[in-house]
Formats: sequence, structure tokens, C-alpha cells
Amino acid sequence: MNPMHQFEIVKLHPLAAGGYDISFTNSALWMAIALGAIAIFMFVGTAKPQLVPGRWQAAVEYVYDFVTSMLDENVGPEGKRYAPLIFAVFMFVLVCNLLGLLPWVGAFTPTSHVTVTIGLAFIVFTVVCVVGFMRHGLHFFSLFWPKDANIALGLFVFVIEVLSFLSRPFTLAIRLFANMTAGHVLLKVFGTFVVALGSFNALPYVFGVLPLAVNVALTALELLIAVVQAYVFALLASLYLNDAVNLH
Amino acid sequence: MPQFDFTNVFWPQLFWLALFFIVLYFGIVRLTLPRLGKVMDERAAKIDGDLEAARAAKESADELTERYRAELEKSRDEARGNIAAAKAEAAKASEARLAKAEADSAAKIDAAEARIADATAKAHESLRGVAIEGAQAIIAKLTNNQPSTDAVSGAVDAAMAR
Repeated sequence: MNPMHQFEIVKLHPLAAGGYDISFTNSALWMAIALGAIAIFMFVGTAKPQLVPGRWQAAVEYVYDFVTSMLDENVGPEGKRYAPLIFAVFMFVLVCNLLGLLPWVGAFTPTSHVTVTIGLAFIVFTVVCVVGFMRHGLHFFSLFWPKDANIALGLFVFVIEVLSFLSRPFTLAIRLFANMTAGHVLLKVFGTFVVALGSFNALPYVFGVLPLAVNVALTALELLIAVVQAYVFALLASLYLNDAVNLH
Repeated sequence: MPQFDFTNVFWPQLFWLALFFIVLYFGIVRLTLPRLGKVMDERAAKIDGDLEAARAAKESADELTERYRAELEKSRDEARGNIAAAKAEAAKASEARLAKAEADSAAKIDAAEARIADATAKAHESLRGVAIEGAQAIIAKLTNNQPSTDAVSGAVDAAMAR
């Protein structure tokens, strides 16, 4: 079985608008499921907010606290304003990553598609640019200019800094997409090993045990990667926000 | 890789991603998170308030202890002063009594001494009379001659003065 088959986009409900194909696909379905899961988590957790939180509320508070302290560390006191955005990005990436690991149900991982991750990265990039220009105006360009440098060196560094700034959404997107894709390919490859080795006629099942054990361990690793990559995405987003909010 | 088949993959995903993210941000996170943030701020404020109250209570307790200690010290000093005064008073009283008793006994001693001196003088006088009479009688017996009282008393006085 082709390990790339799991990334195939299937049109569940063909749609088009203004000449653009906007069909409802399996990717959209799993984004919707992620959205529903987040909605349940959030609305149940904050239904009746209390001073002494219940389990659901404590869980939501834990994530919220995690995001706000990350913003506090990386952006400073100004960072709290962007907590909802970073929270939304973090939760969306995290839940998409985690739901994609569900076995049996034919789960699809939207974050294994570079289109989705680049969309998310450009949301962050756009917010960073808007915040930067709104707070500092054209002064925002001083982000790219090295302090205490002569013109020639300054221009050289300026070009490099602009290129590195413009490449940020792509690196952000490709990091997440590559991690997710690699993990899922690996799981699928070892899954085919289970079938291939387990169907050895003379001694059935026995040789399938080893790749199965590897797959169990890999699943645990992938769970870790799912969480870590969501964290890395949110962390880098807050670091980029820091540049826009505080310049140097 | 199906991910790079952008003609089939790009717009459908991007459209739904944009739609779902708008719903997620404005329809879920923006509605729920501020409520939670408010409660968390309230909680932080309450905890800070409680801590502040505890600190104030401790401060007032410390102040009370300090005042108690000062009061105790003051009353101790007062008691010490009272004791010293009482001691001084008692010493003065006993001194006065002692002086009076001394004076009394001195007077008694003087009176007794006077009486002794008186008695000694009287004894002396009567001894002289006896000596003169005895000497007259002895001389009369030996010489059958009655000596004059003046002569005998002169001789007795001379002998007693020795």
C-alpha cells in the first residue's frame, strides 16, 4: 500500500464559487471535527466559570495559562492582548495533529498538508505585519536595520534580514507539515510491515509482532511530536509577535 | 506527494481553513476565553487580597505583641521601683527605732552610773566616820587620853588620801 495514500484529498461534496474549487473534502471534514472538539472543550469548560474551577474549567485554564505565560515570557506585558489569537492557533494545530493520530476511523491530518500550514502561518505573518506597522509605522523597517553599522554593511544585513523575515511563514509552515507528514508516513510504513511479515505462511503472525511493537512506540512518539509541534508553532508565532510589538 | 498537487488541494483547503479559523477565533475563542480570563483575574485578585489581609493581620498581631511586651516591661519597672521604695522606707524606720532604743539605753546607763557614784561617795563618807571613831577609841584605850576630833580626822584624811 502506498504510504502517501493517506494524504490523498477526497472530495466529499463538490462545490465551486467564482471559478474557485471550494469542495468540502476529507481535510475540511477533519478541520470541522477539530473545530467541534475545540468548541465542546471551550464551551463546556467556560459554561459556568467559578473561582474554584471544576475539571473542564481547570483543563481550559491550564491551556490558557500555558499560552499567556508563554506570551508573557516572550512578548512581555503587552503580549496578553494576543492571547486569544495564539490560543486559537495553538488549539487548532494541536487538535488537528492529535485527531489525525486516531486509528480505525480513517482520520485525516489537515496539518500534514502544506496548504493548511501555510494558511495558518500566513494568519500569523499577517497579524505580525499589521501589528508592527500599526504600532511603529514605517519605523517597523528598523527591525531589519542593524544598529551601529555603516551603510554598506547595513544594506547587506538589511537584505538578509528582509529575506529571513519573508521566509518566516514558509519555514513555519514547512516545519509543521514536514513533521506531520514524516510521522504519518513512518506509521504507515511500519503498518505495512506488520501485514507483510505477519502473513508469512509457514509461521503466521509471529514476525508481525516486532513491527507492531515499533508502531506502538512510534504512536507514542507521534503523540509527543503532535503536542511539541503545536507548541513550537505557537512559540514561534509569539516570538514573531514580539518583534512586531517591541522591535529590538 | 498529494500535498503538492496544488490544483486540486490548494483552494478547497484554504477556503475551509479560513472559514473554520474565523469561526474558531470569533465564534469560540473570543466568546469563551474572556469569561475565563475574568474569573482567573478575579481569583488572582482574591488570592492577593487574602494574602494582603493575612499580612495585615500578622502586622497587627506583631504590633500587639510589641505593645504587650512594652507594657510588661513598664509594669516590671514600676514594681521594681515600688520594691526599692518600700525597702528604703523599712530601712529608715528600723534605723529610727534603733537610734531611739540606743538613746534610751544610754540614758539608763547614765542614771545607773550616777547612782553608783553616789553610793561610792556615801560609802566613802561613812568609812571616814567609822575610821575616825575607831582611831579615837584605839588611842583612848592605849593612852587614856581622849584625842581631839580635829587631830584624828586630819590624820585619817591624810591616811585615806594615800
